[in-house]
Amino acid sequence: MTAGSEEIVVSHLTKHYKKLRAVDNLSFTVHSGRVTGFLGPNGAGKTTTLRMMLGLVQPTAGTATFGGVRYADLDRPIRHVGAVLEASSAHKGRSGINHLRVICSAAGLPRQAADEALARVGLTPAAKRKFKGYSLGMKQRLGIAAALLGDPRVLILDEPANGLDPEGIRWMRDLLKALAAEGRTVLVSSHLLGEMQQLADDVVIIAAGQLIRQGPVDEVLGSMTGLSQVRVRTPQPAELAAALSEQQATVAALPDGALTVTGLDAAQVGHAAFKAGVELHELTGERADLEQVFLQLTAGKAGIR
Amino acid sequence: MNLVRAELLKIRTTNTWWIFGLIALPLWALTLLVNWASSSALLGMDPNEPGLDADQAEQTRVAAEAVNVATNLYTSGQFFGVLVVLLLAAIVVTNEFFHQTATTTFLVTPRREAVVLAKLAASVVLGLIFWLVTTLLNLALVPLILNALDVGVQLGEPAVWRAIGLNALAYALWAVLGVGAGVLIRSQIGATITLSTVYVIGFLGAATVFALLTPRIGDWFGNLQVLVPPLASQLMIAGTELPGNPPRWVGAVVLIGYALLAGGLGTWITKKRDIT
Ligand SMILES: Nc1ncnc2c1ncn2[C@@H]1O[C@H](COP(=O)(O)OP(=O)(O)OP(=O)(O)O)[C@@H](O)[C@H]1O
Ligand SMILES: [Mg+2]
Repeated sequence: MTAGSEEIVVSHLTKHYKKLRAVDNLSFTVHSGRVTGFLGPNGAGKTTTLRMMLGLVQPTAGTATFGGVRYADLDRPIRHVGAVLEASSAHKGRSGINHLRVICSAAGLPRQAADEALARVGLTPAAKRKFKGYSLGMKQRLGIAAALLGDPRVLILDEPANGLDPEGIRWMRDLLKALAAEGRTVLVSSHLLGEMQQLADDVVIIAAGQLIRQGPVDEVLGSMTGLSQVRVRTPQPAELAAALSEQQATVAALPDGALTVTGLDAAQVGHAAFKAGVELHELTGERADLEQVFLQLTAGKAGIR
Repeated sequence: MNLVRAELLKIRTTNTWWIFGLIALPLWALTLLVNWASSSALLGMDPNEPGLDADQAEQTRVAAEAVNVATNLYTSGQFFGVLVVLLLAAIVVTNEFFHQTATTTFLVTPRREAVVLAKLAASVVLGLIFWLVTTLLNLALVPLILNALDVGVQLGEPAVWRAIGLNALAYALWAVLGVGAGVLIRSQIGATITLSTVYVIGFLGAATVFALLTPRIGDWFGNLQVLVPPLASQLMIAGTELPGNPPRWVGAVVLIGYALLAGGLGTWITKKRDIT
């Protein structure tokens, strides 16, 4: 299989639990060479989707393929796809290195792969320590080491930043970006939207089991012009507010005396001020961030089902 | 083959197996002593003693034959040995859920039936190791006991070796039962407690029920006791055909039947289940 072909295609994936549609006719594509953020409120169906993609949960309908092949049909799958999932762990009484060796043994990988993977996530000093003595961040790193064992072209991570310290989060961001830069396909679910904005090239946003939006981060942010704001400071706030209100803009006063204007861009605000003869001390266009867009897109659909 | 090796590595890289081994050892010693005592009592018993009916007298006479005393001693430790193997084999499965390693296991090997088969094979290997150790211990100590009982070593008797061989089969089959049971009862503690309780209580309870009811209902009912797994595996390792009991091969067939059922059901459920 060639590098470029390891696209993930999710097509009409559906999972019903009793009456709940945990995942509802979900289709999206994840491209190689990019980091794709998989976002959704709690209970949106992210974990269920990822588990169905990996053959752990039986879909009610639909398929997911990696370079055109279902996970279960891949030859030695961990050489193609590495995964770090929630509710996945190691035997408490087994050492980290032995945990990886068991995987190597089952997958027919050489034993050194375990040592290399452990070194790659910086766990070599704790290699022989039992898993129950690992901190949350060390456990998370061991999970990543396990995912990297087979040098896979595709990586799938469910909330990998859970329990990592700021240094660890930065390490993870750099690692995932480097992996994507090597042409690999990286799909990451996360609730840390600030982190995602720094990390992801593309996003797939779901809520209540359904696709809300997918595309490059810039496009998704740009599409929400209604959310972009302009911050402006003036000694004549009343005059400016009056001038802007004529243009159907919403103006709100901030505690520090500045105003935020919604519905116009910075140039339009500056022009309005100029025409009204209002003096400006500050004029900053603030684009909506991922968090605002996310909350707007999933409003009303959020909530535990 | 990789998978069986991986399963054995999983067992080796945790403490469970040798802790269970340490538990099995005193239990083996206990059964050897009990068997010694009962053999000694049996040999001192007079089959023509008044109070025994014809059947019981015949049973006592056959059981007291040298070869049967010897097989009983050479297979000492089976009762608790197979229980320990049963629990260990169940834990081979329940561990995966208790420690949440099932996700990784099935990511590495999406063909779940292959995983169950590997677990069956690894558990059988483990069971045979327990059999080997107890058998070697028995071979070392039982000749001394037999000499003390004035019975003779009996190691020239094919029946003794056949019983030892069938004992190995019993250990293997109980390992298979354990894997199947582990799939059915996913909870680690639940499986351990349920299996040991059912094994011991089931054995004692069934033995009592059959002893009480058989004289009233009839011999055909007594023969049904071979359907109780621990009784089946004991029947399997009897030295010669015992009067009033079904033939030995029935014990083997019953146990193999249970093992196939447990293994098959376990595989089927594992294939269908969502791993979350
Ligand atoms: N085994 C199950 N049985 C019944 N319902 C389930 C099961 N697994 C998940 N669900 C339900 O399916 C929905 C989706 O759950 P899922 O874990 O996929 O959400 P998520 O997006 O990963 O949420 P979070 O961000 O909290 O991790 C939830 O409402 C959950 O209660
Ligand atoms: Mg989740």
